[in-house]
Formats: sequence, structure tokens, C-alpha cells
Amino acid sequence: MNINEKTINNYKILSLQGILNASSAPQLKTFIAGLPDEQSIVVDLENVEFLDSSGLGALVGIARKKRTSNAVVKLARMNERVKKVFEITQAYTLFDIYDDVSAAAEA
Amino acid sequence: MKTLLVIRGQEYGWLLDMLPGVHPMLVPICNKPFIEFLVDFSILAGSDAIRIISDGLLGDVERYCENGGRWGIEISYGSMQPADSLDTVIEKNRRFCLDGRVIIISGFLFIRYDKKSDYASLFASLPAGELHSCCRGSISLTGNPVEGTNFAGTTSFAQTALDSISTYYNLSMEILKNELTNYVLPGYGSEADCFIGRNVTIPKSAEIKKPVMIGNNVQILANSVIDSNSVIGNNVIIDRESVVSESIIMDNTYIGEHLEVKHKIAAGNLLIDPESGSSIVMEDPHLLTSMSQSKATGTVLRRIVHGIMATLLIILQLLPWLLLRPILGMQGKWKSKKEQYYTGLQGKTFTLSLTTIDDNGPLGTLARFLSLDRFTLFFRVPGGALALIGNQPIPVNPDIRIVPGSNAGYRPAVFSYAEAEEWPEIGIDREIVEHYYAVHCNPLKDIAMTQKAFFNRTH
Repeated sequence: MNINEKTINNYKILSLQGILNASSAPQLKTFIAGLPDEQSIVVDLENVEFLDSSGLGALVGIARKKRTSNAVVKLARMNERVKKVFEITQAYTLFDIYDDVSAAAEA
Repeated sequence: MKTLLVIRGQEYGWLLDMLPGVHPMLVPICNKPFIEFLVDFSILAGSDAIRIISDGLLGDVERYCENGGRWGIEISYGSMQPADSLDTVIEKNRRFCLDGRVIIISGFLFIRYDKKSDYASLFASLPAGELHSCCRGSISLTGNPVEGTNFAGTTSFAQTALDSISTYYNLSMEILKNELTNYVLPGYGSEADCFIGRNVTIPKSAEIKKPVMIGNNVQILANSVIDSNSVIGNNVIIDRESVVSESIIMDNTYIGEHLEVKHKIAAGNLLIDPESGSSIVMEDPHLLTSMSQSKATGTVLRRIVHGIMATLLIILQLLPWLLLRPILGMQGKWKSKKEQYYTGLQGKTFTLSLTTIDDNGPLGTLARFLSLDRFTLFFRVPGGALALIGNQPIPVNPDIRIVPGSNAGYRPAVFSYAEAEEWPEIGIDREIVEHYYAVHCNPLKDIAMTQKAFFNRTH
């Protein structure tokens, strides 16, 4: 999985590309562990080809960890495949989901 | 022009309790689901794209409306948090709302319109801002008026907040009696006030009085009377010599013989009084019974695989259990507790004896390592009472109304999927994992997940 990073306002925008599953979830966790605890994040999911339970677990874990540091994790540009997983698991209740990256970073 | 529909779970929660099994946005008003009225209104207003936003589940709505192709428009779906204000929702859907005019309909509102009116010109010419508002919702417009449009007509529309079963009933009756011609309704109308769907069997001895609306695949048996002001849904049987009057009979309902259903809503085996909101469950299958589809054949294969696996585990664990159980029992480290739990069938319960082992000490640790606390539960798997791996059984708690059957694929099991994953086994996290695997698992994967649960528990 590729992770591209940029900054808009005070948010780190992480654009994920590829598969977010049990084997790539640790990569995302490690990447985010390298950022300051109080750094808020927008995860751009437009190019995520596949998301499984472990990938979802990683996103939930990151969101929980950030919340304890008073930072936030927002999700943006979910594609249909990713949206389906969030719908099935009702995990959308845990995140603020935007259809635009810059809107997420400005809100 | 686009339309953003924002409908919150708390606005339709009352309907979920009242009519379980049908998504509130798909609840029929006369012979058409609620959401279709909003789609039709949006199209009449000139929209070519609609986005439906909710903090509740939208899966059923998405399966019904799909991408909007059959209406020649584009329908998309989004989620929101329950606490989000309308401004936040608009911000979260900025890309959708960015260009052009957007009609924002917020609330569980039924919009009364007339299909003959020119709403496209009306909405194109109105200034941005709130058009209608009440405590239950609002209709507003964003973006600048379309240049060159000038509406001078008298077109109007009104909103009715669906906030109780009596409002729903009265609305259906008002439409049936007076407003049928205002809406785009499906079905064949042989004469005014009389809509009859496809594949409807009506014997000569049955009597039907207008205004009436009858869905598809309906059987009305001998000497039955469908009195005026009745709405009969799809896949309904009205058995002989029964009278239906001023009532709504929902889809997939069987009305037994010699019954009089007057001023009621019948849905499956529920009979609801629209005035008081009280409902009774008809236990007798000859009175009112929902006609449910048989279970998928895939579950048989899964049950066989789980049964074989459970038998193997029983054989493997029998000797350690015979050796360790008496010793730990004498040490007071083996405790069992019987409790009522929900089965996979909606509303049905069964008793399970759950064991806890104090793993303080080498024998306790060994017993837990071998999952001996689950040993007695394996015996419930071959009979089908429990699955080997699935959902953690939900205890019956009279203080909390939980209907596990309404969750996607609830299957109480010896091991839960959450135990297999390295997620915390609490609250929403557990539910997320179980929901995921309820949809994505298969018998082969179940074997792997059982193995994973078996070992992960010891961490």
C-alpha cells in the first residue's frame, strides 16, 4: 500500500493507495505512530481497492488513539467498495466522513 | 439542480419499533415506498442528482433505489453523525453541493405535491434560503437562481412530518381518498380510485369497494370483502369470508379466514391500532402470520462443517476436561452460570450455561489455554442451537429491548469473531467485527477463524 502525505491547514492528509488489510494495516499504524500524537489526520480513501476487517480495525484503533490526544481522524472520498464495508459494519458512526478532502481539512 | 435528502435515525426511530423488518424510508404510502415520493418530487423540481444522507443504515434503501438509473437520475448515499447540524452535513458533502442549485430536504417529511405543477421553474427562480420549516424538518435552497427563469404561477407544496403511526395512517388514507391523482403512482387503475396490481386473484363472490389499492400477487379468497379505504400491499392473502375495512395491510401478510380487520394496520403477525399506537402480536398462525422466505441453503453446509468441527473438538477435549474439571471444581476455580440468551430466530430464547475458569495457577491456566470453559457449549453445535463461530450470544435483558434478529446475520456461537480478531472485545468494536464476518465469512473461513479464536483467547 502506498501512503502519500501532504498538509492542508493543520491537518495531515494521508492518501492511501492499494489494499488495506492485515498485512498493510501495520504499515499505516507505523506511519501514523511517527506523527505527533496531537496531529489531526484526514485519510483519503478514494484509491483504496480493498478494505477488510483488519484494515477497518486499524482505522478504528487510530481514531481512538487520536481521540485520547484531543486530535481527530476524518475520512474523505470513500469509494463504493470501502463504503460498503462501513455500511455493513456500521463503522460510519465512529467517523466524520466527507466527500471532499479540502472540506474535511477546513471544517 | 440537485437534491440533498437528510433524514436522521431519531426522526424515524418510532417507525422502526412499530414496523420492524421494513426500512422506514421504504415503508409504503399507498402503493409506493416513502422514499420514491421524495425522488419523484425532486425530479419534478428539476433535479438530476440526489444524495441521501442518514446516520442510520441505508443498505436497504440503496438496494431499492440503486444508482437511480431507473428514474434517469443519479442517486448517491452518504453518512453523517447524529449530532451533525445541517450546516455540517452540507460541509461534509461540499463536493456534491458545490455547484448549481441544491434543494435540501431535512427531516422525515412527506411532501405533498401535484405532479401537474411546474416545480422545476419554481425552484429555479426562487432565491436561496429556507422555503418551509417546522419543528420536524425543513426545505431550503442553496445557490443562485437560474438566470432567465421567471416563475409567475401559483404552484405550491406542503410538508407533513411523519412522526407517529397515526400521522402515517391518516396520510395514507387522505392520499387514497382525495389526492391519488396528485402523485405518480405505479400500477393499473381500471377506474378512478381503484388501483389493482399484477397477478391479483379475485373470485366472483368477493366484494371490493372503492377507493381501494391492491398490490401485486394478492389472493382474495371466496366471500371476502375489501371495504372502501383499504390499502393491500404485495404478496398478501386475504382468506375466505374476511372483511378488511379502512385498513392498511402491509406486504407479505396473511389475513386468516373469518376475520374482521377494521381501522388497523396489519404487518406480518403484528396488528396495530393507528390511533393509540398499541400493537399486538398474533401468535396463532391461522390469524395473521408473516410469510418469510426459507433460509438459504448455504447455512446447511455451514452447519455441517461447524458440527464436524465441534465433534472433533469434543473428542480432543474430553480427556483434559474429565481430568481438570473435578480438580478445578474442588478448588472453587470452576464456576458455571445459567442464563437466558437470544437464539438466531427473532425473539426466541434459550438457556446456556457459561463457565468461567479462574486461571490463577497452572491447572487453571492450562484449562483456559485449552478453552475447556467452552467444552459444554460444543455439544449445542451439532444440533444447530449454537454455531461454532459467530456472534457472542446476547443475553436477554428485560430492561433493554434488543432484537438480535434484526441485526445482519446474528448467529450465537461458542466462539465469537471478535475473539478471533485482535480487536478489543467491547461494545461497538465487537459489533463491527461480527457484522463484517456475518457478511464475508464462509464455512472454510470459519474453520480458520475458529482456530484463530481458539489461540487468540489465550493471549
